[in-house]
Amino acid sequence: MSDVAIAVKNLSKSFKIAHQRDAGYRTLRDDLMGLPQRMLARWKRNGQLTSETFWALKDVSFEVKKGEVVGIIGRNGTGKSTLLKILSRITEPTSGGADIYGRVGALLEVGTGFHPELTGRENIFMNGAILGMKRVEIQQKFAEIVAFAGIDKFLDTPVKRYSSGMYVRLAFAVAAHLDPEILFVDEVLAVGDTEFQKKCLGKMHDVSQAGRTVIFISHSMEAISRLCPRAIWLHEGQLIVDGPSDAVIAQYSGASALSAIQT
Amino acid sequence: MSTESPIVATVAELYATPIRTQARQQKPTFRIRPTKGWAPLNVLELWKYRDLLWILVERDTKLLYKQTALGVAWVVMQPLIAAVIFAVIFGRVARLPSDGAPYLLFVFCGLTVWTYFSQALQHAGNSLIRNAQLVSKVYFPKLLLPLAQTIRGLVDFTVTLVVLLVLMAIYRVPPTFRLAVLPVFLFFMTLTATGVALWFSALSVKYRDCTHALQYFIQIWMYASPVVYPISMIPERWRPLFALNPAVGFIEGFRWAVLGHSVLNPSLVCITIVMSLVVLFSGAFFFRRAERGFADII
Repeated sequence: MSDVAIAVKNLSKSFKIAHQRDAGYRTLRDDLMGLPQRMLARWKRNGQLTSETFWALKDVSFEVKKGEVVGIIGRNGTGKSTLLKILSRITEPTSGGADIYGRVGALLEVGTGFHPELTGRENIFMNGAILGMKRVEIQQKFAEIVAFAGIDKFLDTPVKRYSSGMYVRLAFAVAAHLDPEILFVDEVLAVGDTEFQKKCLGKMHDVSQAGRTVIFISHSMEAISRLCPRAIWLHEGQLIVDGPSDAVIAQYSGASALSAIQT
Repeated sequence: MSTESPIVATVAELYATPIRTQARQQKPTFRIRPTKGWAPLNVLELWKYRDLLWILVERDTKLLYKQTALGVAWVVMQPLIAAVIFAVIFGRVARLPSDGAPYLLFVFCGLTVWTYFSQALQHAGNSLIRNAQLVSKVYFPKLLLPLAQTIRGLVDFTVTLVVLLVLMAIYRVPPTFRLAVLPVFLFFMTLTATGVALWFSALSVKYRDCTHALQYFIQIWMYASPVVYPISMIPERWRPLFALNPAVGFIEGFRWAVLGHSVLNPSLVCITIVMSLVVLFSGAFFFRRAERGFADII
């Protein structure tokens, strides 16, 4: 039997939303000025600074075995990206935990680390390094990356001159050659034309065939049903359904249709 | 239509299917848990990501030179112009002593070190905010961002150093064997810069006004350091207190090694070394503790 790749248990993440101060950044001056006020409130024990706790994720538990491809679906703002951020160690959970077995590669946004002033070549190295590849690795895969993106004519032009399509192709090309054991992909297919989307899906299919574990967030039910045999439906931070993707998609689409009718 | 929604029934069905758990035989590659309090420095991870560090240094060096019209010339002009201004005001008008060396050379020495210091601090101070996209979307040890700036500053420092050597040739000041000790002072200079940078960059994520405060802090610090005046101007009994400022040690030390004129008190150097290490480690621990909240606040 295959081993576990990801084990998530009671994962929860909350954010405090302050209502008192005006929207903006905290300044040291404000905090220092407000200190006597806060200390007085705490001393009096009746001080209630209105801050609402928003639960982005609440008690999410599931397991993913090695080589599984799991899709995560749900409406916007239901904690899907937060889940991947926690599993990629970008942010910490408030409670609960997860265990990861294997090297992780996360593609949460296309073109992370790209700087418009740098050339395509320089950005490949930058992006590759930030995703965790060693320089030697990037050099070895350089030709493949350029071929996948199809930008060999424009390697030495600053990226700010690229079309949005070229930009996205290059970004995905670097991430696609990451070669991790576990791959997280967050809605990156939202940008790009059909040909690009086909290429991406194809590459992700190859990755999953090679025995890698993939977690894939998407709003495209077609992509999910084609790529993922299993799907998880998150709603308002909670795991509603976890099962075969066709069934879950049916439930999700049904529920969406129902709520559309009801409103 | 029945009052009970058909969806609820099927959802309950699917939910009833148990998620099979398996006995875990291996150790996880990493465990994700909420952490509180002080975090370990995790130097091993910094070493694993050393390729990223060099790429960040390269990237920022290229960017800086691509974006400024003057490029390298700017790196040279800044301390030179400041040195000339100081030489006129503090050297001629105020007639500050300069340990036997020509004042312009004296102050340029101090400025070589100080320019590195203030530039590294300013770039490192807002490095996290400038790279907010990276911080919120990718996992990597964030400590590399300010560290890349303090290392990158050494490139500019080398350029200024060359100008200093040219000035020395003009004033016919011969190099002495003391130059061999120069790397030691440079090392502690980098350590202090990194320590302060870690403090400020971590604070700047939560309190955006820290970046403005940093500029004033650096200015005041410059006058509290022996850049435009020698330490010999400070009365003896106050010198140990003065030396608590880690900049004192490496500025005086640098001048001692380069100009070969002044006298260097070893106890002051010891105080400086200790202070540099204190600043570095306190900055690193503070940064690591604050790091877990960066992606949420930035």
